[in-house]
Amino acid sequence: MDHIDPRARFIFSFALLFSATATWNPNILFVIFLIAIIWYSMGRLTWKETKVGWFMISILLFTMIVVNTIITGGGAGGVVPPGGQLVWPNGFELFGKHFTFGLTVERLWFAVSQLMRILSISLAFIMIPYTMDSRAYGATFSKLGLPDGLAYTMELSFRFIPTLARNFQVTLDAQRARGFELDGRKGNILHKIRRIAPLLIPVTMNAIVSSEDIANAMDLRGFGQSKRTWLHELIFHWWDWVLIVFSVIMLATVLVLAFRFNMRLFSVPQWWYGLFSK
Amino acid sequence: MEADTTVKKKIWAFGTKEVVYAAIGAALYAVLTWAFNVWQIPGAGNVGIRPAIVIPMFFGIAFGPIVGFITGFVGNILADMLSGYGFWIWWDLGNGLIGLIPGMFSALIYRYNETKSILLGEASVVLGSAVGMAVASLSELWVSGADMKTVIFANFIPAFLTNIVWGLVLLPILMIAYAAILKRSGR
Amino acid sequence: MSDPAALPLVVKDLSFRYHTRTTPAIRNINLSLESGQIMLLAGSSGCGKTTLMRCINGLIPHAYQGTMTGEVLIHGKSVKGMGLSEISKNVGTLLQDPERQILGTYVLNEVCFGLESMGMPRKEMLPIAHRTLERLHILHLKDKETFFTSGGEKQKVALAGVLAMEPNILLLDEPLASLDPASAHEALLAFRELADEGLSIMIVEHRVEDVLAIKPEKVVYMDDGEITYSGDTAGLLEAVDYSRIKLPADVIARRAKGKVHPVFLPTVPQLEPESQALVSFQDVRFQYKDDTPEVLHGINLEVRAGEVIAILGHNGSGKTTMVKHALGLLKPTSGKVLLEGVDSKKSTIATAAKTIGYVFQSPTQMLFAPTVREELAYGPQNLGFAKEQVEENVDWAIETVHLEEELPTPPLALSFGQQKRVSIASVLSMRSRVLMMDEPTAGQDYWNYQSFMDTILQTPGFDAIIFITHDLDLALIYANRVVVLYGGEIVADGHPQDVLLDDEKLKKWRLLPTSLLKLNQELWPKTGQYLRAEALSQFLT
Repeated sequence: MDHIDPRARFIFSFALLFSATATWNPNILFVIFLIAIIWYSMGRLTWKETKVGWFMISILLFTMIVVNTIITGGGAGGVVPPGGQLVWPNGFELFGKHFTFGLTVERLWFAVSQLMRILSISLAFIMIPYTMDSRAYGATFSKLGLPDGLAYTMELSFRFIPTLARNFQVTLDAQRARGFELDGRKGNILHKIRRIAPLLIPVTMNAIVSSEDIANAMDLRGFGQSKRTWLHELIFHWWDWVLIVFSVIMLATVLVLAFRFNMRLFSVPQWWYGLFSK
Repeated sequence: MEADTTVKKKIWAFGTKEVVYAAIGAALYAVLTWAFNVWQIPGAGNVGIRPAIVIPMFFGIAFGPIVGFITGFVGNILADMLSGYGFWIWWDLGNGLIGLIPGMFSALIYRYNETKSILLGEASVVLGSAVGMAVASLSELWVSGADMKTVIFANFIPAFLTNIVWGLVLLPILMIAYAAILKRSGR
Repeated sequence: MSDPAALPLVVKDLSFRYHTRTTPAIRNINLSLESGQIMLLAGSSGCGKTTLMRCINGLIPHAYQGTMTGEVLIHGKSVKGMGLSEISKNVGTLLQDPERQILGTYVLNEVCFGLESMGMPRKEMLPIAHRTLERLHILHLKDKETFFTSGGEKQKVALAGVLAMEPNILLLDEPLASLDPASAHEALLAFRELADEGLSIMIVEHRVEDVLAIKPEKVVYMDDGEITYSGDTAGLLEAVDYSRIKLPADVIARRAKGKVHPVFLPTVPQLEPESQALVSFQDVRFQYKDDTPEVLHGINLEVRAGEVIAILGHNGSGKTTMVKHALGLLKPTSGKVLLEGVDSKKSTIATAAKTIGYVFQSPTQMLFAPTVREELAYGPQNLGFAKEQVEENVDWAIETVHLEEELPTPPLALSFGQQKRVSIASVLSMRSRVLMMDEPTAGQDYWNYQSFMDTILQTPGFDAIIFITHDLDLALIYANRVVVLYGGEIVADGHPQDVLLDDEKLKKWRLLPTSLLKLNQELWPKTGQYLRAEALSQFLT
């Protein structure tokens, strides 16, 4: 992954994002999902690095799919037409009680489609922070056409994240030494929100005051006076072109299939019904 | 000593100062989001309990729409990166709008501790959150295929409400603090 | 004398007023600098040093507006017609706080920042960056993340970023402020080396004594926006008010002879060796995580009523970690910390605050309230004091720091010195038994910090005072006990007279002997105690 130009990676990731969100067709989604898995495995990320991210994504998927789609059904309402074949047409027995549950086979398949779609997007984007060198952002955005100031902003942000995190820790310590406690004891919601002020204000105002010096430091070294060059070197290899061409073809194919051949709509494959017929 | 209030603000300027405010704002938004994750309650889509949301609002009010937008947009991307959350372009855009709209109001504000300024700030918080979260929530119609009812009740309303509750309470506090440091700044 | 037109830097009749102010910040400044010369620009806070630097490096008028008269000439050319990028190729500026100056995430990026701004092709940048890093002997830091470099390294990295643009004039704004004595000395030697290579250097600094070690060719003293002395070092030592800037101790003692000085009497109670320890460390060891190295290696320390303790140690010696244990912010991995006999593992931080009040280094890290009154009430309210008690404490605390008239003012609108006093008062108001201060003099000039320390030590209400510092003089003037931390261990603990005796040991602990220490050692047979320079004058023959 380190050998692929960040510009090509961004283009591919966005092509994948738009492809995955252009259709609910099960076959196309499945192919996109496969491509995403291959792409992710090329990143060679370890479980240890990414487990937090996956944990967060699982929570999101759980709410979206289990709660909204399977249990309440609202999550599928925009795509799956009402009606359909019930999974348990006669209800089911659990702990000696009889339950009825309006889950349809269609909605269950929709949950699978959603899973493929969201996972594809997650697979493409979760790896960016782990595989992208923070020094490359400025050069990348600049070469993608952004003006120097905007392109540089993200790099400068990266520089100050650890500094601000440390400042936050110091302020937290300072206020705890004055009796501030993280776990609120009493008070209504307004009171609880206001309790954040002793942390929020020093950190924010300090950051603003520092900004004057930072801007001076930049002006004093000629920032914005002429067209910027970048220490970070971006080299396009043949494989980057291959990736871009592939991205374009993938997106074009999906769009043509979806809109030209009407393959963007949700449908349930026959074998899926087969699983639920007795 | 009073600040010079006769100079008309150029809210669309983007010079060195604005680059720094935007970068610092985004980094701050990301760090605070991450730091306040203690309060993160899963269960409402992409909505967390996030006091940090006031940062893009405040940076917008203080430094204009571009700084506000970048603070929200880039800050949200960085925050998601820090927690390994992935990348959700529509929610990032929504956060950007939460900073951009107060930024449009910044042209009208010169003294940050006046009642009038604070009311304008509060109005911008409500408007910004409404537009920003509407854009982000509506994307779910398309991305996850939810219906309008779910989008409104499961995505928009919780996100909108938490944002304005934090914003309405914390923005005036920051504006008053900012008025105090303005008296000392030079540039 | 060479032709003035060819001199690297000439300032002629320069005055400047900020557009937000009614009075000029600097008036009628005249000075010049030759290549290879170092100029020390001394003066206390607010004397106009910073404004003068901004006029030379172009921030005035490019970033700060106002009215300027007179001229700044760089190699005979007026800066008025130059853009910031042209000036920056001639004048390099090192700002006071390297943490704010450093813009690159990695060292190499930092060094190349200016070159990138100039639009230099990458191929040309790399050799320049290498050369610059080598020149400062920090090539080994090339691929390090700037955030994780030490204080001294950070400053060299920031300097490399400035030097890469190959300026021939270098402006240094209080370059010693954030450094421990050993790093400060190294930095100064590096500046001398650069001057010997032909750079013209202007050092703005109130630690005059330290800068004199590298023998600046010219010295300028500014007071209230004007130059009141300009000449050589020897003249300066006689001309300026010795309570304003830090001169060598023997000079102060000699000049103070025969003059009357206010008597200084610390107000902590009599030492009670048999009393219960207020704070007690019992074989405290600590590591952040199982797989990270141990930071504290068996600390034993007891603090009793009547003690004024200076904790000395270089950056990274474990001072901060130790302090956090005393506050209950960190709990020992093994061993115990007792506060008035109670194990810190069994008490909350809020209870710990009743024993120890801690003043953090920078007041801006803690001030938040809309008024000073609310700021002072925050601590006692958190500790659950009754309303009347809170008010009583607030009134007492504000009187103690003499800021009664500022009670309704927002703390953030005060000057740095006032903020520092408010931050102390906001700790005083909790009426903790022990006052602990981290680098109490940081960010203040010599005169301010002397009077600040005098005030605090004469403030009634504490059973003991602890301060953390790397300023040896502070320890020997104010403390009755000195604890030296080195590499996570207490390597010395006792009376200042005993601990600070051995120069070789001090050097090993990265604490450099000062002129005040030397003078005190010389006069020891007559004094029998360590004193400040003014007080030593009566023992001079």
